[in-house]
Amino acid sequence: MATGTGERVDDFERLYQTTYTAVVRFLYRKVWDADRAEDLAQEVFMRLFQHRPEKPRAWVFAVAANLARDEARAAIRRRKHLTLLTNDPSPGPSRIQAADELVEHDEQMEAVHQALDALTPRDREVLLLWDGGLSYPEIAAQTGLAVGAVGTTLARARKRLVEAHDRQHAQDSHAAHS
Amino acid sequence: MPHIPEDELHAYLDQALSRSQCVEIERHLAHCPACQRRRDGIVALRDRTTALLATLSPARRIPPAYEVLEERARLVRARRTRWHRAGWAAAVVAATGLGLAGLEWQRTNAPSGAEVAVVSDSAVMAAPEEDSLAVDSTAVIALEDLAIGAARTEPQEQPDLPAREAERTAAPSSELAVAETPSASSPAAVSEPVGVTLSSGVLSPAMMHFAPTGAWRTLSWDAARQARGQPVPRIRGLPVMEVQVSASQADSGSPTMIVAQQLESGQVIRTIEGPATDVSRLLAAQRTDSGSPWPTISDDAGISGRDGSMTLRRGDRILAIQAPLPVDSLRAMIRRMNAMER
Repeated sequence: MATGTGERVDDFERLYQTTYTAVVRFLYRKVWDADRAEDLAQEVFMRLFQHRPEKPRAWVFAVAANLARDEARAAIRRRKHLTLLTNDPSPGPSRIQAADELVEHDEQMEAVHQALDALTPRDREVLLLWDGGLSYPEIAAQTGLAVGAVGTTLARARKRLVEAHDRQHAQDSHAAHS
Repeated sequence: MPHIPEDELHAYLDQALSRSQCVEIERHLAHCPACQRRRDGIVALRDRTTALLATLSPARRIPPAYEVLEERARLVRARRTRWHRAGWAAAVVAATGLGLAGLEWQRTNAPSGAEVAVVSDSAVMAAPEEDSLAVDSTAVIALEDLAIGAARTEPQEQPDLPAREAERTAAPSSELAVAETPSASSPAAVSEPVGVTLSSGVLSPAMMHFAPTGAWRTLSWDAARQARGQPVPRIRGLPVMEVQVSASQADSGSPTMIVAQQLESGQVIRTIEGPATDVSRLLAAQRTDSGSPWPTISDDAGISGRDGSMTLRRGDRILAIQAPLPVDSLRAMIRRMNAMER
């Protein structure tokens, strides 16, 4: 079985080379922190090497989604703890403060971010998974949708993202001119 | 055939349909201008969506080498049992230790104060998360965050200290036995790197210290970059512990530089780059002094080495790495490093 193991290892390396950036991007769009997204992506792949699942690509995105969800849950607790550690009543500068980072984003990014937030969680998840490179069956397996419903969801998500973005853009232009 | 439903056009363009479904759709499209227009609209919508999402991407970074990450995973797996048994107590101790380690890093590498808080915090944050995926290696992964956090401070985030101040910061008080003067040889440090003592949170002096013969200066990261004038040779994604540069002036190009980085195991990986004659002499001296398995440097171009060390001849210069890793990992690393520098 040595050959099989070797091929498997090569598969994982190939997956890492081709998917790592997509996973970072996927996580970034959930945690909105580039450093944290990188950390979590590395954690995802380390777990991949440990668990060696049957369907690694789908597995990677499932774990990434779970880690991002945990991250969101822990965010409040983390900020509280940070304040304690730094012994500073104000939050202070930190790379995990999404709000501060957002200030640095350009307007375009901010507009898209808001447009993405305007989607329902399911529409957003399907869109991000598709953009991450998953197939319809893989997206269906991860989200619990029927494969046939993925197209419908994607169609709706795409339309709403663009509409929300254009609406936002129109509002901004209006505000700028008035 | 009635007009093609919108979701089917999406699925068609997303290549999510069977061959027979595609044939059916293409047959209809061939003679239905209305569906052709709708298809073109959806093509534009897809492109637009992709373009919008593309703006939501973090700055592109070079990912850590596959071998590095795999090695980290292996070490985490090896430690998992121990950590599991220790449970929450270990996580708390690690968090405390990391706090100290973070402070030590702050003192020696001068990252921002918030960095320390983030590092310590991640241990605490990771610990209470119990679900099927956030498994038993949380505490260990938190340790890795220290490495990641420290690595992050290395390229951009260090404050711009005046050169003198930076050197003073990087140079030693007690734990870091580094010197700007010619230093004595310390064989044990080369052949047997010592792990990080987490309980104290202080890097072991033996692990930090590499004592090549001749005159060497220890530089801060910023000073090293300045002195180098080009990328400092190193393994991306690992924290830099120490940069030493030869005090003797090279005939051509920059002088020999030794970059010590920390593997997550606590062991040290050293990258050495410099004029071929200087590096050869240095490696030969190390081999004699310490008995470490440095390869003989041949005059042929290319890579040579074995478990523990690897060299790559590049014209009149040599790039070498030394770490307690298998020969295959070292070869992959040195190749990657060579490719990235070009």
